[in-house]
Amino acid sequence: MSAADNKKIVQHIFDEMARSNSAPLLESLADDFRFVVMGSSKWSRSYDGKAAVLAELFAPLRAKIEGRITIIPLRLIEEGDTVVVQARGRNTTVEGKAYNNVYCNVLRLEHGRLKEWIEYCDTALVDAVLGDPADAVAATAGSGRST
Amino acid sequence: MSAADNKQLMENIFARIEAGDRSLFVASLADDVTVTVTGQYSWSQTFRGREAVLRDLFGYVRSLLEEGSRTLPFRFIADDDWVVVEARGDMMTKAGERYDNHYCLIYRIEHGKIRKIREYQDSTLCERVLGPFPAARKQAAG
Repeated sequence: MSAADNKKIVQHIFDEMARSNSAPLLESLADDFRFVVMGSSKWSRSYDGKAAVLAELFAPLRAKIEGRITIIPLRLIEEGDTVVVQARGRNTTVEGKAYNNVYCNVLRLEHGRLKEWIEYCDTALVDAVLGDPADAVAATAGSGRST
Repeated sequence: MSAADNKQLMENIFARIEAGDRSLFVASLADDVTVTVTGQYSWSQTFRGREAVLRDLFGYVRSLLEEGSRTLPFRFIADDDWVVVEARGDMMTKAGERYDNHYCLIYRIEHGKIRKIREYQDSTLCERVLGPFPAARKQAAG
C-alpha cells in the first residue's frame, strides 16, 4: 500500500480515538503487532504480540483511566510504510487525576495492518500519574472491574 | 525544497554532528527558530530564537556533558516540510554517568532553514541524570 493509503488508515484510527473509540485501532492490529513504550518509566518496554499488548499494556491502562481513553491527533507525517503521529491525550484517572500526556508515535504498517507502534512521551508524567502497571492489574482483579 | 532535500539536509547535519562538527546544524537554524521540549517536566518549555536556543538549552546541556557526547540517528522520515529523526544519545556527563537517552525529534524546515524543533525524550532519565532544568534559565513557555 502507498504512503497515502497508510496515512488514511492511521488518520481514521486516530480520528476515532479522538472520539474515544478504540475499535478501529484494535481491528487494525496484526497478530504479531509490537508496541514499544520508549524510555525508563515503569511502563517502558517492548510488548510483543497482539495478545501481550492487549493483556499487559492496554488492560492495565484501561484499568487506570476513568471511562474510555481519548487521544487527539495533532499532525501526521508519513513516508513509505511509516506514519508518525503527534498527539495529545485528554484523560482522567480513576483517582481523578488529569492525565494529559503528549505523544510522538512512530507506526509501521504492512498490508494495511499495524505491525509496530513506538511511543515517545513524557515518561515522568507516566510514572507520576499512572504509577505501576502491576498495581493496576491487581486493583482490577480485586475490584472485579472489567477492563 | 522537497521532502527528499529536507531529509538530506538532516542526514548531513547528523553525520557532521556524529563526527563532532556542529557547524552545519548551527548554520541551518533560522534566526527565529523555536525549540519545544515537550511534556510537563522541568525542562518542558519553548525556547525562542537561535541565540536563546544555543545559549539556554543546547549550551546548558553541553555544560553538563563530556566532550565527544553525541546524538546518533537511526531513522529519518520526511514528508513535505517535516523531517522526523529517531535518535539515541551516546553521552557521558561530567559527573561520570552514562546518558543515553532516546529521542524523537521533529523538524520543520523552510527554504533550507530549521524553523521549529519539537523534542520528545525520556523525561524520567533526563531529570534523573541531568537534574531539573534551572529555574533561572527558564523562558516564557510557548
